[in-house]
Amino acid sequence: MKKVIIELRDVYKQFDDDLIVNGINLQIYENEFLTLLGPSGCGKTTTLRMIGGFEQPNKGEIIINGKIFNDLPPYARPINTVFQRYALFPHLNVFENVAFGLKNRGWDYLARFFNQEEMEKEILKEKEAGGEINPKVTKHDLKKKINEKISEAVMKALDMVKLTGLEKRKIDQMSGGQQQRVALARAIVNRPQILLLDEPLAALDLKLRQNMQYELKEMQRKLGITFVYVTHDQEEAMTMSDRIVVMKDGVIQQLGTPKDIYNEPVNRYVATFVGESNIIPGTYLGKKVAFLGAEFDCLDYPFAVNEPVDVVIRPEDFDVIDHEKAKLTGIVTSSIFKGVHNELLVDIQGHEFIVNTYENYAVGEPIGLKVDPYEIHLMKVQGNE
Amino acid sequence: MNKTIRKLAYPYYGWLYLLAIVPIAIMLVLVFFDIEGIGFSEARYTFRNFALFLEPSTLEAFGNSFLFATTATLVSAVLGYIVAYQVFRSRFRNKFIILTLFILPMWSNMLLRTEALGNIMERHNIFTDLLGIPGGFNLRGTGLAVLIGLVITYLPFMILPIYTALEKIDPSLEEAALDLGVTEMRKFWKVVFPLSIKGVITGCIMVFLPCLSGFAIPEILGNGNIMLIGNIIEQSFRNMSYNLGSLLAITILFFIFGSLMIVNKVDKEGGTLI
Repeated sequence: MKKVIIELRDVYKQFDDDLIVNGINLQIYENEFLTLLGPSGCGKTTTLRMIGGFEQPNKGEIIINGKIFNDLPPYARPINTVFQRYALFPHLNVFENVAFGLKNRGWDYLARFFNQEEMEKEILKEKEAGGEINPKVTKHDLKKKINEKISEAVMKALDMVKLTGLEKRKIDQMSGGQQQRVALARAIVNRPQILLLDEPLAALDLKLRQNMQYELKEMQRKLGITFVYVTHDQEEAMTMSDRIVVMKDGVIQQLGTPKDIYNEPVNRYVATFVGESNIIPGTYLGKKVAFLGAEFDCLDYPFAVNEPVDVVIRPEDFDVIDHEKAKLTGIVTSSIFKGVHNELLVDIQGHEFIVNTYENYAVGEPIGLKVDPYEIHLMKVQGNE
Repeated sequence: MNKTIRKLAYPYYGWLYLLAIVPIAIMLVLVFFDIEGIGFSEARYTFRNFALFLEPSTLEAFGNSFLFATTATLVSAVLGYIVAYQVFRSRFRNKFIILTLFILPMWSNMLLRTEALGNIMERHNIFTDLLGIPGGFNLRGTGLAVLIGLVITYLPFMILPIYTALEKIDPSLEEAALDLGVTEMRKFWKVVFPLSIKGVITGCIMVFLPCLSGFAIPEILGNGNIMLIGNIIEQSFRNMSYNLGSLLAITILFFIFGSLMIVNKVDKEGGTLI
């Protein structure tokens, strides 16, 4: 059983009259990479800021490590944040930026952070090696040791984000990608239990963004830190996350692994937001579903027989077959070469379908399509969507 | 288009040459002569002015000027920072109105304002008259009176650049500081203050310069007891001793240019100057 590290219980947040977060319940596990996914204004950043302590919920509880953290200021939480525009200190250089979190802590915190006993042992060893008889550890020695340790930790963090050698640079002399890495190093050097990332890759170009996605995932695995990641980019969410929370209007729409969310979206909103999909109205007939005038085998769903449903078929789940044998036939209205596959628009009884296939079809050609039972996904019909 | 606009600046150039550059040039020449007024017929080339410059009374006035200017600047910096910070932190929606309130007194004549302030500083002033209470003590004519006058007059010049600098700090930097585990107090000293230092320096120079060269406030509030270099310059010119006056004025100009160069260096974009 995985250990819950953060729990949101019935959390509401309101700005003036706008209800931004509308009753969120969420458990986040230790060492997981969780992504809050949704369009801008869906409440994902506000949720993150409440976990970070920058906003207080109007109602509900934020529980971290089993304690209610609602009113604790950000500095008292075992959490660090990577901000959207990095928020690096322009008056400090790279090293000082990364060292900021440790340099400004009190004595007790640092003594615990670097393990005082071990430091004392190290100091004694060094002194004995230097030929001192009956060496003693003074406060001054410890202070020096702590400073050494901080420098070491900073250099290690910079090494981790591949910025070794740039520690003396000014922030405004760094590229966007490098600043992003400094922001990461500045957060992880404090060894937080939880790292919050607020669209950290939004300002980078595509290639850099893709590289950073792998690096972030890799880093999360290596460090064993819980990552809570906010993004509006579904591809980013798919690539990195262990679990994804799809949000809309301050409400969680679906929570699940990237595969679950992609293959079994719970509603039209999730289906269209995550990847491309064809959604057709149909009727559930018990292990069968009827749409476009034909019956198709499908999996077992907890719907009533004859209940209207939404049928979701992903563009890549169609198989192209002989025109005569097909239950679904249509006319190709557009064909775009996408590199690996062709993206066809197919008109079937007045409904437009996106079909991805390796076959070449010309515009105007008839086409026969088949869908395997497990590729047909049914969703409950939602009134206003 | 561009040329036409440039032509519009010609009157200003004329103004600048006539009233700033030419007088400075004349003063630079006058420094080396000993004449009365600007009659060059009996002009004699001399260094006598430099000897006058080193007289104890002149040096004392210089010392006073620097002392008062420095003290007034420091006091204004502390007060100005506190005020600017409070306005910056306040949740008041239209902060511009608060700032306008600070500038408001500057729209009335400075001499009148200073004279009014001098009246309040007297043993029997408008308040004791109106309220019928016995007067306490007489502040007018003391160094403290001059200092208070300088601070009250020039404080807005300190508040505005500091406020502008504070307002330019990205709020996410403060959040980042808190996120990295510092307390509110440490956040101020490690992030907010260093990032607003440009505004403090600009403000200091905007206060220091007029305090250094002004003469009206020490004259009115000091009752002539406090001699600043501005007063000596004023007296020199009034007594037709243009040569000494020029020398002192040029010296002050030298400091002014030096200070402006510091501002230029610290604040390249001129962001904190309004």
